[in-house]
Amino acid sequence: MTRLLRWSWRDLRARWVQVVAIAFIVALGSGTYSGLSSTSAWRRLSYDASYRQLRVDDIHVTLSDGSFVDAATLAAAARSIPQPGRIRAAQPRLLVPTQVDASTANRTILVPGRIVGAPIVGGAAGVDLQAAKAGRVLRAGDSSAPTATIDYHFAHHFALPAAGSVTVSGNHRLAYVGQVLQPEYFVITGNQGNLLAEADYAVLFTSLAQAQSLAGRPGAANELVVAVAPGADVPRVEQDLRTTLEARFPDVGVKVQARRADRDYRSLYDDIANDQRFYDIFAILILAAAAFAAFNLTGRMVEAQRREIGIGMALGVPPRRLAVRPLLAGVEIAVLGVVLGIGMGALLGYLMGSVLRGFVPLPVWRLPFQAGTFARGAALGLLIPIAATIYPVWRAVRVAPVDAIRTGALTARGRVPLLARIPLPGRTTEQLPFRNLLRAPRRTVTTVLGIAAAITVLIGVVGMTDSFFATIDRADQELLKSSPRRLSVDLASFVPVASATVTGIRQSPVVAGSATDLRLGGTLRNGTAHVDTLLQLIDLRHGIWTPTIEHARPAGGLPGIVISAKAAHDLGTSPGGVVTLRHPQRTGVTSYRYVQSKVRVIGITPLPTRYVAFMDLRSASIMGLTGITNTMVVVPRSGVSTGAAERALFGQPGVASVQPVQGYTDSVRHELARILDILLIVEGAVLLLALLIAFNSASINADERARDHATMFAFGLPVPRVIRMAVTESAVMGVLGTALGVVLGWLLLGWLISDLLPRAYPDLGIVSHIAPRTLATAAGVGVLAVAMAPLLTIRKLRAMDIPSTLRVVE
Amino acid sequence: MRNQKLRGAARAQEGDALGEAGTAGAGPGPHRDVIALDSVSRSYTVGGGTVTALTDVSLRIASGELVVILGPSGSGKSTLLNLIGALDVPTSGTITIAGRRIDGASRADLFRYRRESVSFVFQTFNLFPTLTALENVEFGAEVAGGRDRDRARRALVDVGLADRLHHFPGQLSGGEQQRVAIARALVTGNPILLADEPTGELDFHTGVQILGLLGEHAAAGRTVVVVTHNREIARAADRVVELSSGRVVADGPPPGGPTDVRELRW
Ligand SMILES: Nc1ncnc2c1ncn2[C@@H]1O[C@H](COP(=O)(O)OP(=O)(O)OP(=O)(O)O)[C@@H](O)[C@H]1O
Ligand SMILES: [Mg+2]
Repeated sequence: MTRLLRWSWRDLRARWVQVVAIAFIVALGSGTYSGLSSTSAWRRLSYDASYRQLRVDDIHVTLSDGSFVDAATLAAAARSIPQPGRIRAAQPRLLVPTQVDASTANRTILVPGRIVGAPIVGGAAGVDLQAAKAGRVLRAGDSSAPTATIDYHFAHHFALPAAGSVTVSGNHRLAYVGQVLQPEYFVITGNQGNLLAEADYAVLFTSLAQAQSLAGRPGAANELVVAVAPGADVPRVEQDLRTTLEARFPDVGVKVQARRADRDYRSLYDDIANDQRFYDIFAILILAAAAFAAFNLTGRMVEAQRREIGIGMALGVPPRRLAVRPLLAGVEIAVLGVVLGIGMGALLGYLMGSVLRGFVPLPVWRLPFQAGTFARGAALGLLIPIAATIYPVWRAVRVAPVDAIRTGALTARGRVPLLARIPLPGRTTEQLPFRNLLRAPRRTVTTVLGIAAAITVLIGVVGMTDSFFATIDRADQELLKSSPRRLSVDLASFVPVASATVTGIRQSPVVAGSATDLRLGGTLRNGTAHVDTLLQLIDLRHGIWTPTIEHARPAGGLPGIVISAKAAHDLGTSPGGVVTLRHPQRTGVTSYRYVQSKVRVIGITPLPTRYVAFMDLRSASIMGLTGITNTMVVVPRSGVSTGAAERALFGQPGVASVQPVQGYTDSVRHELARILDILLIVEGAVLLLALLIAFNSASINADERARDHATMFAFGLPVPRVIRMAVTESAVMGVLGTALGVVLGWLLLGWLISDLLPRAYPDLGIVSHIAPRTLATAAGVGVLAVAMAPLLTIRKLRAMDIPSTLRVVE
Repeated sequence: MRNQKLRGAARAQEGDALGEAGTAGAGPGPHRDVIALDSVSRSYTVGGGTVTALTDVSLRIASGELVVILGPSGSGKSTLLNLIGALDVPTSGTITIAGRRIDGASRADLFRYRRESVSFVFQTFNLFPTLTALENVEFGAEVAGGRDRDRARRALVDVGLADRLHHFPGQLSGGEQQRVAIARALVTGNPILLADEPTGELDFHTGVQILGLLGEHAAAGRTVVVVTHNREIARAADRVVELSSGRVVADGPPPGGPTDVRELRW
């Protein structure tokens, strides 16, 4: 046994460069798996720990928009449920929507946001506590002064100082003493669905009393958060709260929801599973490439031992025993790969950890070593190269001994593949590279597949980044194709187009042109499928900006609607189709009801978010909103900067928010940031993989051709000529592998985008796209690097001991 | 006819070796001393010790000569051939080929020398496994500057492989492979032919045929150096240089004078 070990170890040492390269490839595969997968466990642990530390509420109660009740009454009502001991804490709060002006000396920062007023209760009695990332949290004494803390995401995004002040609606100056994390706002959701919105949504935390005074509603509350006592049954408490509160406040809409049912809360945990799917696929792809590489090398090693195996068989040694030596080599490669993989996994995990910490800032991040995950990664890393060894070994021991002993390993069986017969033009030295490829088709194919695997992963991973950017670019292009400086001005309420609010904006000195539009929420239905939309009613023909309408169809008497490709897909409809729109209809000055109308899809907007939908302003009639507006598009006068216009309009009465039109794409960009950062890390790994495979096949090739090269040198063929032949041979394989890889990569990308992405990003319609730069990278790695790899062997060739190389009898 | 000419050359060579030893710089004539080795030694360091393959070998070979290097296994025959073919460099001593020193010559010169002056038949054949017999021979022709398919075909016919042109080395027997290797060397047309055990794998009949062929090339003016440990083959040579443990122990015509290849027996 020790003799066998030493023997196989000598086999490996003779090819240590390739062995190390393959071990690295295996390490990349198992390391990617372990490293990326560890983050899933870390996220789960850290979310749990962070929620626990900040005593996140279990149930929150919201009153319908515009409703307020007395804070003390609300809290008391909650505590009046049967068995009130089940409630650990019940806190009335006042949420005030506001505009936040956080502009600094050189940057205009005007965003919508909210003020969260809550009693300042720390420690064990508290609920939804804050953790300061900079400055400090609120203290009991802060109730008496207009003092707040500001959400860390927003503050960090704009690099605001740890303490400072902002202006909120009503021109109130509000000082903040720290940048904080609060469990309800671990992810920031803006006004428009689930897009990450830390760049355009500011949350300010203050005492209940201060919020009431800012809102001019002393004693009022419109929300309640409840923490249940340990051991209490949350759904039961939730149900009891609902019954009790509905009975206590019959004329106010009360919504009671468990934290676990909250969209933001769930999305944090759901994202873990979605991301894990990507990690698994990346790891599997890299491991597949590693398998090809290992298969290639062990196949070659077995080929080299074929004669010895044949001699063994001739001497009557059972095939099982003959197989041990090459199999041991496979095991040794696998073990080396797994050991390296642990280091690689730790490195990737470290990188991912810092990306995650930046992406989801949490008060607690726990990154313990994931022994189980690493064990699974190691098992994969072990299994794959060993499995890749088995086939060539099995083939070798099945060969008749007489064939195995013959000289000329490549043609040991005397059969000549048909391809090798193809007559080729040119000198023999020009033919040799092609002959070599054709004469050993299996070897050529495995090498080509190895290169293809690397390129497939490269295209798949980088293509995903490309597709994201292409999607954003498309959106940018669409939104900025005309009047790129326009601002979107949301009004505080529905007003007639002739109202003072509108006139005030129109006549503002910063405004050159404007349009009065409508923006309202609605739901599109087609059969059982439904999609929430943000309807924008604008002048589709003569507006300041009009959406591009692809696949346009006539409305045919029905109100027409332009929806996103993603919405059409999810609804199972297409242009010309009729769907049901559930939308608000005005019934009185301030009263609305929901009605359903049949609308026809008259085209598709190139904007990628599912929820966007456009209708012509004339359709406002079905909503009873003719002559009414709640949002305006404003073009600043030339010479007036967008920032200055924003500031001026922000001060106008009746204005809820002012945002440049790019805000939309910024939010899409943000939404994709998580995956983009991960992709960047994986891209690095994949590039390394592709280069390793390129290098490996070249180095295997060089070793295998050493004898031929020595013969050529003996005949006086100069080194550059010999290198040129090796380069040609590699280049052909590189071209084939890259071409195959690009095709497979394109298919992979299509699958990732059509199958996997929608689960992770249901609200985005991503179009698959491969940037020319990516193809260039693929060609650079797959063709250029592979073709140039033989140059690495120049030194070895120059220093070749020709007589010794020639003398060895195969 | 041929034998006379070659014997004459050999005698002249002997005369040089005896009378002008150590005066290689004196400038031998163009038809004499194509190959001149002076005090050539070659040793290898293996592990801690040194293995000496050749010790103080001085040798002159005239053009058109058919010389056999004879010696037991490990006596340094292949080493000597490698040195002449510039595949290897001597540890000490000088090697002059056609009046030009090749020890210490530049890489480019050595490559040109190998391309244009010598051709090899290796002890281990070293055919290109992915080229057919014909293509292997064409390779030889091309490297030396010619590109003549017919010449390659004729060379194979000469070695008796007319019906094996399109076989790959793996489909040929050892002796057939050896003959392809010989054809590949012959077709280069280079003035010096170095053959390491060219008849090792051949049966008597084929061996004789090949020797006859080498003899014809020598008669046509090429210098042929054949390595063997077969004394019978040595009988057909103009001159036999015997090596033992890396030293020249005998140098002269075979005992009883050169014999016609047809009279050889082994
Ligand atoms: N690269 C090397 N390293 C160490 N020793 C070497 C090397 N090449 C040759 N030798 C030694 O030099 C001696 C002469 O070798 P060479 O190949 O010239 O023998 P040979 O006469 O051709 O033998 P054979 O008839 O078996 O082919 C041998 O003892 C051999 O072991
Ligand atoms: Mg030898």
